[in-house]
Amino acid sequence: MAVGTSGGKTFIRPDGREKVTGAGRYTADLASTGMAHAAFRYADHPHARILRIDTTKARALPGVVAVVTQGDLPDVRFGGLVQDRTLFAKDVVRFEGEIVAGVAALTETAAAEAARLIEVEYEPLPVLTDFVAAMDADAPLVHSDWSSYERDEQMVADGNTISYSTIVKGDANAAMARADVVVKSRYESDASQGVPIEPRAVLAEWRGDEVTIWSSTQVPYAARSGVAQTLQIPEANVRVVVPLLGGGFGAKCDLHFEAQVAALARAARRPVRLVFSRQEEFRAIAQRREGIVMEFETGAMRDGRLVARRARLVLDKGAYCGEGGFLGQMAAMHACGPYVIEAISVESFLNYSNRQPSGSVRAPTAPQVCWGLEQHMDEVARELGLDPVELRRRTLIERGAEGPTRQVFDEIGVKQTLERAVEMIRYDRDLPEDEAIGVAVGWWPSGPAPSGAYIHLNGDGSGTIVTGAQENGSGAVMAMPTFVGEELGMEPESFTLLYQDTAAANWDMGSCGSQTTFNSGRAILAAAADVRGQLLDAAAAELEVDREDLELAEGQVRVKGSPDRSVSIADIAGAGTIHGKGSGDVPEVPAGDTGGCVGRLGSETFAAPQLITQAAHVKVDRETGVVRVLKVAAAHDSGVILNRMGADGQVTGGVVMGLGLALSEGTVFDDDGRQRNPHLLDYKLVTCSDAPEIEIDWVQIPTENAGPRGSKGVGEPPQVPTAAAIANAVAKVLGRRVRQLPMTPERVWAASAEVGS
Amino acid sequence: MKTAATLTVNGAAYPVELDPHLSLLDAVRDLIGLTGSKEGCDDSECGACMMLLDGKPVNSCSYLALQADGRDVTTVEGLAEGDELTPLQRALLEHGGVQCGFCTPGMLISATALLREHPDPSEEDVRIALSGNLCRCTGYDGIVRAVRSAARSSA
Amino acid sequence: MTRTFTTAATVEDAIEALGSGARPIAGGTDLVVGARQGKASLPEAIVAIDRIASLGGIVEGEDGLRLGALVTHEEIVANDVVRARFTALADASAIVGSHATRAHGTIGGNVMNASPAMDTGGPLLCFDASARIRSTWGEREVPLDQLWTGPGTTAVDPRELLVGIDVPAPIPATGSSYVRLEYRRQMEIAVVGVTAVVRLDGGSIADARVAITALAPTIRRVPDAEAVLIGSDGAADGIAAAARATAAGSSPIDDVRGSAAYRAAMAEVIAGRAISAALARARGEHVEIPASSSTYAGLGGARA
Repeated sequence: MAVGTSGGKTFIRPDGREKVTGAGRYTADLASTGMAHAAFRYADHPHARILRIDTTKARALPGVVAVVTQGDLPDVRFGGLVQDRTLFAKDVVRFEGEIVAGVAALTETAAAEAARLIEVEYEPLPVLTDFVAAMDADAPLVHSDWSSYERDEQMVADGNTISYSTIVKGDANAAMARADVVVKSRYESDASQGVPIEPRAVLAEWRGDEVTIWSSTQVPYAARSGVAQTLQIPEANVRVVVPLLGGGFGAKCDLHFEAQVAALARAARRPVRLVFSRQEEFRAIAQRREGIVMEFETGAMRDGRLVARRARLVLDKGAYCGEGGFLGQMAAMHACGPYVIEAISVESFLNYSNRQPSGSVRAPTAPQVCWGLEQHMDEVARELGLDPVELRRRTLIERGAEGPTRQVFDEIGVKQTLERAVEMIRYDRDLPEDEAIGVAVGWWPSGPAPSGAYIHLNGDGSGTIVTGAQENGSGAVMAMPTFVGEELGMEPESFTLLYQDTAAANWDMGSCGSQTTFNSGRAILAAAADVRGQLLDAAAAELEVDREDLELAEGQVRVKGSPDRSVSIADIAGAGTIHGKGSGDVPEVPAGDTGGCVGRLGSETFAAPQLITQAAHVKVDRETGVVRVLKVAAAHDSGVILNRMGADGQVTGGVVMGLGLALSEGTVFDDDGRQRNPHLLDYKLVTCSDAPEIEIDWVQIPTENAGPRGSKGVGEPPQVPTAAAIANAVAKVLGRRVRQLPMTPERVWAASAEVGS
Repeated sequence: MKTAATLTVNGAAYPVELDPHLSLLDAVRDLIGLTGSKEGCDDSECGACMMLLDGKPVNSCSYLALQADGRDVTTVEGLAEGDELTPLQRALLEHGGVQCGFCTPGMLISATALLREHPDPSEEDVRIALSGNLCRCTGYDGIVRAVRSAARSSA
Repeated sequence: MTRTFTTAATVEDAIEALGSGARPIAGGTDLVVGARQGKASLPEAIVAIDRIASLGGIVEGEDGLRLGALVTHEEIVANDVVRARFTALADASAIVGSHATRAHGTIGGNVMNASPAMDTGGPLLCFDASARIRSTWGEREVPLDQLWTGPGTTAVDPRELLVGIDVPAPIPATGSSYVRLEYRRQMEIAVVGVTAVVRLDGGSIADARVAITALAPTIRRVPDAEAVLIGSDGAADGIAAAARATAAGSSPIDDVRGSAAYRAAMAEVIAGRAISAALARARGEHVEIPASSSTYAGLGGARA
């Protein structure tokens, strides 16, 4: 990515050169003297009690330097809102990718062989794969004793239901009864995956009681606290460093194997490295997109007003909570959407099953629920005899409107995004009978969180930006030197970044929640403002003028109007005393009337919501069900855009990922909860030749109480409405709805031919 | 039984002892120490490991190192002349074709092979030629524009 | 047993190595991938045959084509004679895997892998191709319909080496096509594929071949479909009847790539398209190579 600067020059991202020359190091590229290789022994059953683990043969294999099971580690459970998991299985395995034991050996082959040689005796337990039937009275329990687990008090522990959340506004039943039309729909989304192209890797090395862990994580600070908690050591003794990160998309959020590898390295008394195969990357991580069964019911008046929405959502949590305990409530908010609805009653169940755990994958829950809701909205429009775009014109939120929990919105550009998307795609034109345009609208909250940054000016006037921000590839961190340069009247090339090292910078949420520019950027700009103040003070003293009469430009602090009266920033920095720090004030989450809601986990209102409309032009081969997306027009309100090329790159990438979700990406489970397609041949990502033309526009409304310079988040929203827009286009061609996601050729064909569902 | 062989990578000859089952990717990464080529999958689907073998793109993770004995191997590290980036490398940076960078080495190899055969490819040519290289970040948009721009600038 | 690797310089070297238990490798695009996915480990003894010069090259003669076992898909697609007279084979080689697979994957490897989903199998079968097999006890020709005995199995002894594929020349006025159901435009494996070869005499179909891919344990011809076509005038109802016969002659499986019901329905659709494309070519009309993309209601290269 290049970042255009105000001077019109091109600023090449600082990590760009090493990425195009192959010199850059990702975690799997690192090696350490004496390093051993890790391998895991995975569960042999999707649900079973462990009766006995015998590691004798594995330990006896030449080259094996460590074997670790949960019995060797502190008896600690981890997890976000529910602490339900141990590093290695303790007593019970609950999904196919559960780790029973870890091995370190001098070669990868020996490690794999040793893992195989571990003898595990099981008592198989009933397998629960149907996450809806999980609520039946006679359903087997995934966690039979979980009332004893530590958990957030808002998490309902009831059978297999890990959380139950409602969004309630007014009296939905009464409102539904007086509606002119009532439309009901049911949709179902399969599970899917984030699939970063870099499979994860972890390298751990101890020095005394301190461990350094290089990890391909999106969230180094969460990894650090997870290691500290599970190994019962202080966070100060854990340093997590992220080399170049080969993508994440949420799949590399949360604590992921850093602690197991650290435990192996401690036992082996040497560095240990874990590198996942693609199959492990599919099966063993605790972060996939959740399957959801969605039922929507909307009551509307003839003029389009939405008077009532009822919805019931059931989500598949898989075997463990991880960081995904909030998924149910987030999904409930997306079942409302960015619409004015007079009365709402949405309930959402997040259920355990004996499948891979689900967790945050790019805009968690939103693309699937948007896909269902936006098709439902088209069905409402049809019932009303209104064009789908016209219905949205009449019902989308705007300034002063009330959200699902009576949050009152500031200036917001969703209606403008609708008009722009429709204009870019040329919505009203005539198309061949096998082509159509579909439109969908979605939203996503910004995520206010603390962050902190330092900026050091070095003796020669160059600068070092120290930030906890995590670069996932988007360029969000790489753009920071341009912001700092603008603030300080310096060239962005004057700055280097010290980043993704927990020993260097303050806590940061990491590359998740579209928060890097929003929070880390705020902190960095605050640190730059601190430096600016120090430079002005020093120059004011030196030049004997008031601070207010000075400006920073071209590497100088100079008197406004008299550019020859100046002092160079390098000279001031030469004293070695210019060190800025900053955090900025975390924007407040807006208030709402949430008293009637159950299971409040923080998503009841949306801070600085990002709004998106996408329009998709598709062509459908009715006979085969093959769908090609010819063009997607994407209009977004993400507030003020600070880095246009980076922001556009998020949209093109998000749309193509959304296209995959729409048409081909689905994890298929067998009756035992095992994945049937844990490889890229049968889990089909969109290739270059399938990617559509993408036209982008930004509705730039400076947003108050949001990110720096009136910005909002950018990274997750692009994927939210893509599948929905494609679905609405496909339905227009077919005259029928495809009610299961992904809309594979077979499902499109079945809908077209009225075969099956 | 390991076999003595010579791998010629980016013009330099490396004497190596190779296990018959060792892949070209592992040999280049682990024995020669050039880690620019990446491993992203196990079924020749992602293309992150692509190298040029006698000028033609190969998924090096699925190619035995011993078969490359005496052949000419080019990796991403061998594309630039010294410190000077190729027009393709520069265009990729200028057009937003690099995000996380993990697919980049393979993309560059595929695009280099394409431009050698088709100095001025159509968008369709580029899209077909890059279909063996999966990218999850960019949506391919910046990459395709970069390849076409590099083609025009070297024409 | 220790692992060994030898590089054969001649066919005789290769056969000797096979005789002592080695397995041959050419482009490696099937063998190594299969091992990495855990389907079958790599053989302990390997003989690389990719440098045997006599196994390369396409020889175009009066009596047909002689394809060396090492001819790559890329070479096949680029060959003008293949494109003009054996068009279905070009259709198939053009869509194998990615450009990297096509650059290194060989026709010999494709045929000997004996996958029921291999793309080149249907065209070769319909063109009456035969495999030239060499061993210490001589050379024999095995017609392809006798070569494949099941998914991944052949009638070839492990001590024998495939040295080439011979394809007799089709009679003039023959058109052919191979069409594959494609979920994506590239990087696909056949879920349903149909080859059609037709010869016109005057206005009617004098001879016809139809073969199915990924619809039966081995790639095979569908005589009932061929019988429907022969003697017909190539009108829509005849094509539709032949397409139905093709579906009736298939025995698809249910798997993660598609249900048996869907595959059976697609057998009919794809057969119809393959037969139509072959007829068009027989009439001298232009149909793009690969036919798969141009027959998807223009869904292929939608972008200029």
